[in-house]
Amino acid sequence: MPRRRIYNPLTELLAAVLLVVLVLVVNRWEFSLAVLVFGVLPAVLLSGRARQIGLAIVLVAGPLLLSSLLLHGLFFPEGSTVLVDLGIARVTAEGLTFAAGMGLRMTVFTGVLLTAAMTMDIPELLATMTHRGWNRKLVFIVGSAVGLLPHVALRAQQVTRAQQARGLVVGRAPLSRFRALVAVTTPLVIGLLVDASERNSMLEARGFSSPGARTSYLPDTDTPHQRRARRAMVAVVGVFSAAWLVIAAVA
Amino acid sequence: MSSSLTLAAESTAQRPRRLLLALGGALIVATYLFLVIVQPAEIAGGMGSTASLVSLFGFLGGGALLVGGILPMLTTSSLVVMPLGIALNIAIGQIAGSLGMQIYLDAIGTVLVAVLAGPAAGAATGAISNAIWGLFNPFALPFAAGAALIGLLAGLAARYGAFRRVYLAPVAGVIVGAIGGLVAAPVAVFMFGAAGTFGTNAIIAAFRSMGDKLLVAATKQGLLSDSLDKIVVFVLVALIVYALPQRAVRQFPFARTYRVLGTRTGTPTRAAVQPAGK
Repeated sequence: MPRRRIYNPLTELLAAVLLVVLVLVVNRWEFSLAVLVFGVLPAVLLSGRARQIGLAIVLVAGPLLLSSLLLHGLFFPEGSTVLVDLGIARVTAEGLTFAAGMGLRMTVFTGVLLTAAMTMDIPELLATMTHRGWNRKLVFIVGSAVGLLPHVALRAQQVTRAQQARGLVVGRAPLSRFRALVAVTTPLVIGLLVDASERNSMLEARGFSSPGARTSYLPDTDTPHQRRARRAMVAVVGVFSAAWLVIAAVA
Repeated sequence: MSSSLTLAAESTAQRPRRLLLALGGALIVATYLFLVIVQPAEIAGGMGSTASLVSLFGFLGGGALLVGGILPMLTTSSLVVMPLGIALNIAIGQIAGSLGMQIYLDAIGTVLVAVLAGPAAGAATGAISNAIWGLFNPFALPFAAGAALIGLLAGLAARYGAFRRVYLAPVAGVIVGAIGGLVAAPVAVFMFGAAGTFGTNAIIAAFRSMGDKLLVAATKQGLLSDSLDKIVVFVLVALIVYALPQRAVRQFPFARTYRVLGTRTGTPTRAAVQPAGK
């Protein structure tokens, strides 16, 4: 069940991005862990889609964490405290610390951004961008790309099945795989481009390239309070980051 | 008749656009130079707070400035094909996974748009593509500037004839891939400690076991993987555009003006329509 929205998508997205910036600025594992436990975890649990978001975070961050642990845990030539010597590979305390710090940071990024993205109402975000007077070409590209994604994925699946019905078998050799890729992508791209050229003439006929402000069919859910809050958030994070970096440089 | 039905010519404000493009380009170059020249020592000691902040803001901000400068000059035909390129980048990346390919193939849409609509549209497609992808996969976000560079270089390669003959495409692919790999390496190192897939990390691990610094190892890996990836992507895009109907290609002023496909303006190649697997 989707949760009841409290804030505008733009405010939520900005909050997520600023949280990422703060994690980078503070750059301490304690802070990353605190954001994860007190920020990301409650947000995921209260999102109403806790299972999907949790699964997505594990799928995106899991392999990266594991490979990072293997890479830095085993190969960290700068490390001096050797825990286990395996010949070419050495497990060092410094390598493990580096992998843990980076891993925590990556988990926070994934958690914050994925939670914001997966609970976001894309039409509402686009409506807000239109109401705030963002570049209409940018709004069109973002909205259109997000709308096209499931369409392209479905069409790619259909083309693959049709080619398989015609005898497409993917062998193990790289050349065979490449030919399979050509056999699937060519009809896919041609079909999509023909659709796009039709859309091109329709948009031109409706004055897409004419200048002037655009209106949105959806109501503006943004409030003056939230606009002020967004500016305040950016200012506070900016001042804090500058102060933190200056103090760290002096100390 | 209402005045909104007539298409007025858009006002041409050349100076701010050029300024935005110059600022964006300069920011990206400055960020890269800063990361490579000033910071390599820091990564060994810690995670490098300043370095990761600079790489995030420098590359993302530079990409945003470039997009801001490019968008006003694009025609509707370029704009309409850009979302398609973005969706293709993400969707074909997934097909590549399901067919069991070992390379990423996440730049097919960018290169396709660059070949048809020009370097500016290609650069904007690359940058916006990674920004949208960043919503689903946050690790794509800081690579926006690298993706923009790939689009820009692919468009320039197309303009100077790299797609007029199929054997020229892989040559352009190697060069573009090598440059892309060089730019992507510091982002991967300073943002994520060079974490990637198991395949790319195995290559980094091999260089690390020889005693290379992380940035050096990641740069060597980037040069290897990205060149290979871009060879495949450029050849694939060349085969796709050769198979396109003439009508589809001719709607793009860039492809028409610079004779991007040479004399080959739309007859399908046999390789492109033949099912594979013999």
